[in-house]
Amino acid sequence: MAGVELLSDQGYRLDGRKASELRKVQARMGVFAQADGSAYIEQGNTKALAVVYGPHEVRGSRSRTMHDRAVINCQYSMATFSTAERKRRPHGDRKSSEMSLHLKQTFEAAVLTQLYPRSQIDIYVKILQSDGGNYSACVNAATLALVDAGIPMRDYVCACTAGFVEDTPLADLCHAEESGGGTTLALALLPRSRHIALVQMDARLHQDHLDMLMEAAAEACRGLSKVLDGVVRQHLQEVSVLTRD
Amino acid sequence: MAADMRLPTAGEQISSSSLSLLDGKHLVVPGDVITSDTGFMRGHGTYMDEEKLTASVAGEVERVNKLICVRPLKTRFNGEVGDVVVGRITEVQQKRWKVETNSRLDSVLLLSSVNLPGGELRRRSAEDELSMRDYLQEGDLISAEVQSVFADGALSLHTRSLKYGKLGQGVLVLVSPSLVKRQKTHFHNLPCGASIILGSNGYIWLYPTPGQQDEEAGGYYTSMEPVPLSDREVISRLRNCLLVLAAHKILLYDTSVLYCFESSLSHQIKDILKPEVMDEIVMKTRQRLMEQEG
Amino acid sequence: MKDTPLSNCERQFLLKAVEEKKRVDGRQTYDYRNIKITFGTEYGCCIVDLGKTRILAQVSCELVPPKDSRPTEGILFFNLELSPMASPAFELGRQSELLVKLNRQLERCLRNSKCIDTESLCVISGEKVWQIRVDVHVLNHDGNLMDAASIAAIAALSHFRRPEVAIQGRDITVFTPEERDPIPLSIYHMPICVSFAFFQQGTYLLVDPCEREERVMDGLLVIAMNKHREICSIQSSGGIMLLKEQVLRCSKIASVKVSEITELINKALDNDKRARKEGGKFGFAESMPKERITALKKDEAPVEMTDVQDTANEIISRTEAQPDIVKVPSPVVPAPGTGQVGEGLLNTWGLEEEEDEEEEQHEKEEMSTGEVMVLSDSEEDDVVILNPDANKPKRLEGGSKKGVEAPKKQKTSH
Repeated sequence: MAGVELLSDQGYRLDGRKASELRKVQARMGVFAQADGSAYIEQGNTKALAVVYGPHEVRGSRSRTMHDRAVINCQYSMATFSTAERKRRPHGDRKSSEMSLHLKQTFEAAVLTQLYPRSQIDIYVKILQSDGGNYSACVNAATLALVDAGIPMRDYVCACTAGFVEDTPLADLCHAEESGGGTTLALALLPRSRHIALVQMDARLHQDHLDMLMEAAAEACRGLSKVLDGVVRQHLQEVSVLTRD
Repeated sequence: MAADMRLPTAGEQISSSSLSLLDGKHLVVPGDVITSDTGFMRGHGTYMDEEKLTASVAGEVERVNKLICVRPLKTRFNGEVGDVVVGRITEVQQKRWKVETNSRLDSVLLLSSVNLPGGELRRRSAEDELSMRDYLQEGDLISAEVQSVFADGALSLHTRSLKYGKLGQGVLVLVSPSLVKRQKTHFHNLPCGASIILGSNGYIWLYPTPGQQDEEAGGYYTSMEPVPLSDREVISRLRNCLLVLAAHKILLYDTSVLYCFESSLSHQIKDILKPEVMDEIVMKTRQRLMEQEG
Repeated sequence: MKDTPLSNCERQFLLKAVEEKKRVDGRQTYDYRNIKITFGTEYGCCIVDLGKTRILAQVSCELVPPKDSRPTEGILFFNLELSPMASPAFELGRQSELLVKLNRQLERCLRNSKCIDTESLCVISGEKVWQIRVDVHVLNHDGNLMDAASIAAIAALSHFRRPEVAIQGRDITVFTPEERDPIPLSIYHMPICVSFAFFQQGTYLLVDPCEREERVMDGLLVIAMNKHREICSIQSSGGIMLLKEQVLRCSKIASVKVSEITELINKALDNDKRARKEGGKFGFAESMPKERITALKKDEAPVEMTDVQDTANEIISRTEAQPDIVKVPSPVVPAPGTGQVGEGLLNTWGLEEEEDEEEEQHEKEEMSTGEVMVLSDSEEDDVVILNPDANKPKRLEGGSKKGVEAPKKQKTSH
């Protein structure tokens, strides 16, 4: 990126973070009463909302029904006001369709779909404010929403991005760092088993650095998983206290 | 015109004293290893991960002898034989109706498991098949009982009793299925002047207490007579009371609903759902329930 | 039309074969199918054959106003189309998941890796820039569309020449190719996608899956790299659980494959350039008349290997008897401007897992290779056949087929 220094000599980034520091994460579960599960997450200035319906009977085209497992249906959309330039279409363009596809694939790997034959699980995510790491915010929000809906999963799915500047991997990129055209790696990880549910990388990176970058992203995912874990346990306790009788 | 304005209050923090209530509970989140002892049996909400029994949902661990289950906080309705449910017809098919019951798959109501007008032992003829829509059509609400559960988790319902059948005038309230307490009977004629069907699937039906049973109609006749205002007021109050109880995660059964109804009498119906009024009503209800339990 | 589903026994057969490290078309785990790159008469037109998968890429350009956010950069536009001609499963005018996936991957591989100097495509800053449009058409679908499409796109871009322009004040003059020679795009590097198919929850891995294998696979990992060992994009898909080590391993395999393919593309480009310079025949114009449809697939005919020695001797004797007649190893005459690699079973990309069986094959191949290298006396000097053992006998899977079908030779008189 011309002119802008992504990493200062002192080792600080544009927003004052250290290289491996994550942005502040805040999350809430059960934000809607109507849905089976819902969650809201803020990762720095990126804000996402996820809603889960299901498992329920396959609606729409019956032909999608699978006799041995549940169908996962994802829709990703960005609020028209989520970016600096107003978006014309909240969803349906190539990038959004791709994102929906990636979310679907991520959760097909993590959700125990074989427990719900012939049914469908809907996951709807919306980006309310976009400041880099949209995919990871969506994955994390959807994970919380799925936990809220009581849908069985192997583990949490935590996603985080990582970049690479001057031989240093940067965790959890913000929009300014992402748009510079540097290397961006998005990783969705099941933290306990260290399985990768989805990996996606853009722009050039020498092969020898891949290991380092992936490790940085995985480390960031594990950090995030601790935060999500805290949110889930807190929620669990709150609800359990209420239903103590 | 006076407008009602209110400021949102911060959500209640759980105090350390209430946390002590959780001592006996074993709470887990997805991916938590419950036990690596192989002597246990795998129940719902768990899976085996490399010989270790692992939770797949967030909730409370329940042990029955060797069987370990995790009960999630919130989930869709898991029907069991004998459960009373309230559902909505979504489709009329060959010899069966499809019923939406908040379950993972649509439930089935077979033509052979309903009571048709004109006696219980009537043969089902081809005409009956053709006139299925006359009895129940898409959008109708019914009360029924779970007859059996299919292998894929779909429920088969029956309405072979006069208390089940099509629902007429009333109000449907949707709550989480885990809030409905399983009891001997789910049909109650509340002393406050209305009746309630507490469907185990979280669908609750409030209706004016019927006068006398009309045997001949076989449950397919619905009275369209206007309901008196007093009855409607009682039903509206009950509906708001149910929402209050559900918001505070208090189990729903006849006593809790009745106590809540009585505690709310000092407020107007429209005020019941205001947060501060809600808190007051819930506190009173809880107190009475505790006194009653001793 | 919906794709006919794979029958259970076919599925089991394929999975079993994968488990035993065998493939239906006789390749090794890390082998690519034959790659053939052909250029058209016009600049920027390229057909890539990857086994039976066939993809056409055409580059075109026009002058457009630039994007507001990037006033000094030219625009690259990719459009991949799946016509129903390629496979009955493709429907026209519907944004299927596959289409979205391929299009985005192509964009990601070629645009986001900045392989083309977009700033050199600027004519007048903020007013006129070149828009380079790459249309990729799938002509035949036999799996691994992504790799073939990326090869076709980058080869077409490297082959493309845009017209020269002159600026006088605000007037832009575009010269026709007759007036001034068109100029090539400045390409920094050539990113090429390599697909890895995973089976049985990531236990087994195959390079370059064919259509059958794609249908039974659990998931796919696409790695785009250039020959400088730089990774340009990684994309996993299909709900598989990977481990970091697997991704790293795949990236190593990819770097080997990519350098091979890059070499092939460069060779094909050189051939085409030479052919054009010498004023000889080039492009499809040369190749079309000889690509007879009936003869097109003959080189795939499986032949039993039992008495390959006899056959080979017979052929050798015949060749020696008639030295004046040019023999072409395949009824398909590769045109100038054509590169070919990996014909037959020969594993040219020997990787860490060398097997005994392979060595055996090498011996046999050497036998049959010697005598088919007969292209030199043709006037088309520039035909490159890296492994000219196209109709080297192939072993049948079951070995049940009796009788030998001799490798078909065709006479060509020039």
